[in-house]
Amino acid sequence: MKDTVLDIPAIELKGIRKTFTLSEDRDAKTVLALDGVDLKIRQGEFLTIIGPSGCGKTTLLRIIASLILPDEGEVIVEGEPVREPGIKRAMVFQTFGLFPWKSVIDNVIFPLMVRKFDAAEAREIAMKHIRQVGLDKFVDAYPHQLSGGMQQRVGLARALSTGADILLMDEPFGAIDAQTRELMQEELMKICQQEQKTVVFITHDLDEAVLLADRVLLMSRGPGRVREVIDVDLPRPRFDYDVRGHETFVKVRAHLWHELRNDLVEQRAEETS
Amino acid sequence: MKARSRKDVRRDQIVGVMVFLIIWEVSARLLDNSLILPPISAILAALWELIITGQLIVALSQSILLLIAGLIVATTIGFVLGALIARSRTAYWMLNPYLSALFVTPTIALVPLVLVWFGFGFPGRVTVVVLAAVVPILFSVASGLRDSPGDLIDVARSFGVKGEIALLFKVRIRAALPVLLAGLRLAAGRGVVGMAVAETYLRLGGIGGLIKSYGAMFQTDYVFASILPLSLLGIGIVSLIGRAERRLHWT
Ligand SMILES: Nc1ncnc2c1ncn2[C@@H]1O[C@H](COP(=O)(O)OP(=O)(O)OP(=O)(O)O)[C@@H](O)[C@H]1O
Ligand SMILES: [Mg+2]
Repeated sequence: MKDTVLDIPAIELKGIRKTFTLSEDRDAKTVLALDGVDLKIRQGEFLTIIGPSGCGKTTLLRIIASLILPDEGEVIVEGEPVREPGIKRAMVFQTFGLFPWKSVIDNVIFPLMVRKFDAAEAREIAMKHIRQVGLDKFVDAYPHQLSGGMQQRVGLARALSTGADILLMDEPFGAIDAQTRELMQEELMKICQQEQKTVVFITHDLDEAVLLADRVLLMSRGPGRVREVIDVDLPRPRFDYDVRGHETFVKVRAHLWHELRNDLVEQRAEETS
Repeated sequence: MKARSRKDVRRDQIVGVMVFLIIWEVSARLLDNSLILPPISAILAALWELIITGQLIVALSQSILLLIAGLIVATTIGFVLGALIARSRTAYWMLNPYLSALFVTPTIALVPLVLVWFGFGFPGRVTVVVLAAVVPILFSVASGLRDSPGDLIDVARSFGVKGEIALLFKVRIRAALPVLLAGLRLAAGRGVVGMAVAETYLRLGGIGGLIKSYGAMFQTDYVFASILPLSLLGIGIVSLIGRAERRLHWT
């Protein structure tokens, strides 16, 4: 079914530019956060985005989610230009973004209730995804009773419960300890492969960027532009062999590190001169 | 100090009250002047008298009505102005001096103005309660709504909540609830003071009226018998809100 429309990109970005104004004054300083981003993200693809801090990754993701609008350019989702958040895209937040006054089930069910689903049906869907992330025992717990890793599982279950084909994730595992993170990377890969999700995944972690990705998007330091898009040609599933020792992994990682490092060195040089 | 169990705290409180009452009773007997310090027994007798004649229940219901009316009006005004201040820096800087002034001005000082503007009937009395209570509510609304977590707004919007009004009710107010209740608790305490002021300095009525009229007749035992329910009312309403705060178990 999907194959018939596979030539339509899941997401297409055309000439995205975004400037921020730093205060309310009329003669305030402005920051050019994104300077013309063009990109096509294929259906079912896992795209990771990496780049120096402040290069506009979060801004780009918020624009893809239509949480903010670009000054110029267009976001096209499955062939349709979009200007507000929609059911085809679901976000997972770095700080988990759970409502502290809602229990796990009420957090997961939230997007469905907003969209006026029948309560019983919504509960069933939500329960399915809570089970999927392995939190059946914590259905009625509150976020503050859960560890960071568990909270992000709730965040993931919530995004999955929308049924969106596209997951937008902003450093989702950034605030989670290293061992839990590895486990969650594995689970995320499993789920996304099963359900053929298109994923846009921001990270600061080179290993994570390469490990998860079909393609890695490297952004250049601000103003944000696409510096390079790199294919990661590693067999899947990737967790049942030593990916990190694989020749391709090592090569791609080294290349990314080289590029990132150049960027940082140039920046340091500019700052000191 | 060691943490105390609830039971220990209860015991300490009860012992404290007993000691207090015994000292009172003994010194009242020694002093033997019921105008200055009536014995506990006389106060309890007076309280019983107030109860069976129905004076207390009438007075108490008038007071509670006044307090609740005042707090509702104060909350409404507090919400509108508080939301305005939270949204607009200009509104904040324009209104802030007056609100700070109102906060520190004893309500009693404003009574003559209220009399002239609103009369000494129910509207005037409600106004006194509002003046006493509105500022803490307003500031708590303003700070609660201003600091509301931007992240959760993004979450709600990304999952399909549309429009400022829906966000206000689904996220901002809910997230600010602990701050709002703390403000309301403060406001209720001040509202009780405003209520007593209104009932004694405008037309007499309610508990305040009882205190004032028995005071004028130098019936000190009845004065004490009327003060007691006033304090209990204050404590009751404040601890009710405190209990609601504690039920917000996410903090
Ligand atoms: N709401 C905003 N108002 C003003 N400036 C902003 C705003 N959001 C982002 N910026 C600026 O835009 C630039 C890009 O920010 P962004 O958060 O997208 O970077 P990032 O790549 O996600 O950084 P990090 O890796 O640290 O998360 C930064 O210079 C930032 O200061
Ligand atoms: Mg970011």
